[in-house]
Amino acid sequence: MSAHEQWADTAGAYVLGALDDREREAFETHMAGCAACRREVEQLRVAADALPAGVPQFAPPPELKDRIMAIVNAEAELLAAAGDQADRPPAPAPRRARRPVLAWLARPAVALACALALIVAGVGAGVLLRGDGDMHTVVADTQAPGAQVELRMSDDSATLVARHMPPPPSGRIYQVWLKRPGRDPQPTSVLWSVDAAGSADVAVPGAMEGVESVLVTDEPEGGSRTPTKPPVISARIA
Amino acid sequence: MSDHLRALADEDLMQLVQRGQAPAFDLIYERHAQAAFSLAYRIAGTRNLAEDVVQEAFLSIWRAGGRYERARGSVRTWVLGIVHHRAIDALRRSAVHETRRASDEGIAERLEGGVRTDVEAARHEEAETVRAAIEQLPADQSRVIELAYFGGFTHTEIAELLDAPVGTIKGRMRLGLMKLRSALEGGQVSLG
Repeated sequence: MSAHEQWADTAGAYVLGALDDREREAFETHMAGCAACRREVEQLRVAADALPAGVPQFAPPPELKDRIMAIVNAEAELLAAAGDQADRPPAPAPRRARRPVLAWLARPAVALACALALIVAGVGAGVLLRGDGDMHTVVADTQAPGAQVELRMSDDSATLVARHMPPPPSGRIYQVWLKRPGRDPQPTSVLWSVDAAGSADVAVPGAMEGVESVLVTDEPEGGSRTPTKPPVISARIA
Repeated sequence: MSDHLRALADEDLMQLVQRGQAPAFDLIYERHAQAAFSLAYRIAGTRNLAEDVVQEAFLSIWRAGGRYERARGSVRTWVLGIVHHRAIDALRRSAVHETRRASDEGIAERLEGGVRTDVEAARHEEAETVRAAIEQLPADQSRVIELAYFGGFTHTEIAELLDAPVGTIKGRMRLGLMKLRSALEGGQVSLG
C-alpha cells in the first residue's frame, strides 16, 4: 500500500474535524508532501465551510455583546496607553479557581504609593544570575510564597518565566508593567495567568532599552492604566 | 460608529482590529455574531454554553486579529472556523456530550423571517440552498457529516455508534462532502 493509499478518504474526516489529534498530525505530515491530498482537502473544505450557513438562526443576547465589548474597550484603552511599547494582547492561559488575595492587598488605600514602595524593595532583590552568550537571566523578586520567577532577556526579546505561581485572585488578571527611572510604571497590554501547574512563559513586549525593571500586578479583567495593587513580581534589569 | 467604518469590507476592518481599534472589532461582531451564536448553539445545545463559546471565540479574534490571512478565505469563514473549533472543544469538555441536542428552550428569538437588507436576503437564500443540499444527500452520508461537524464525534466514535467499519465512515464523509460541494456550486452559493 502506498503512502497515499493509506490516507485514502481521510480528507473528508480531516476537514470535518473528525480525526483524533494523533491522526490529524500524521495526516498533516503526509499532506505536506502530497499534492493530491492537499488539493482534495481544499475542495472538501469548501463544503465543510458552508455547513454553518444551514443552521437555524438565533439572535445573540445583547448582554453578550456588552460583556465582550467591555473587555475589548478596556484592552483597547490599554493598548493606546501603552503606545509604542504595546504588543497585541495575547490570549491568557487557561485559568483555574483562584486563591483569595490577602485582605490588606485588596484595600484601595495601598494602591500606587505602596506599589512604588515595593518596587524599590523588589528590584533590590533582583540578581543577575547568569549570562549565556547574548541571553541573560534575572531572578525576579516575588511576593508569592514558593513562586520562582525569572526574566530571560536576549538582544531583542524578554520573557518572564514563572513557576509555582498562584493564579491571580478571582475576577483579576496579571498585568506586566515597565518601569523607567523617574517615571511611573508604564502599562503594557500583556495580561496573563498561569496554567494548572502554576506555570507561565510571558513575552514582554517592546524594547527593553531604558527599562529599569519589569513589574507584575494583579488587575481587574481588561487591565488597568495605572497599577491598583503592589507588584507581585519585580525584575530589575538595570 | 462612523459611516466610513461601516463602508469598509471585513478584510479592511480586520487590519484596524490588528491595530487595536475597538470600533472596527465592534462592526466585525455585529456582522457575524448571529451566525457565530447560531453555530455555537447548534453544537453546544445550551444557551449558556453557546454564549461562553461566542465570548471566548470573539475575544480570541480580538487578541489574535493578526493571524487572519486574507488569502485563506473570508473573515466570516475564519470567524466561524474559530467558533466551530471552540464549540467542539467546549462540547468535549462538558458532561453533556450524550444529551445535548439543540432545543429551542430558552431562546425566544429564532429568526425565521424578518429579512431586512440585501446581505440578509442573500444569506437567507444561501441558508436555504445549504439546507436543501444537505437534505438531498443520502441519509447515511448526511448522518456522518452531522455527527462529525455538529456532534464533535471522531470517525472512530462514529464507526462504533453506527456499527460500521472506519473505512466506510470515512468514505461516506468524503463522498457526502463532494456531493455537497457540487450541489452548492449548482446553487451558486458564495463559497469561502
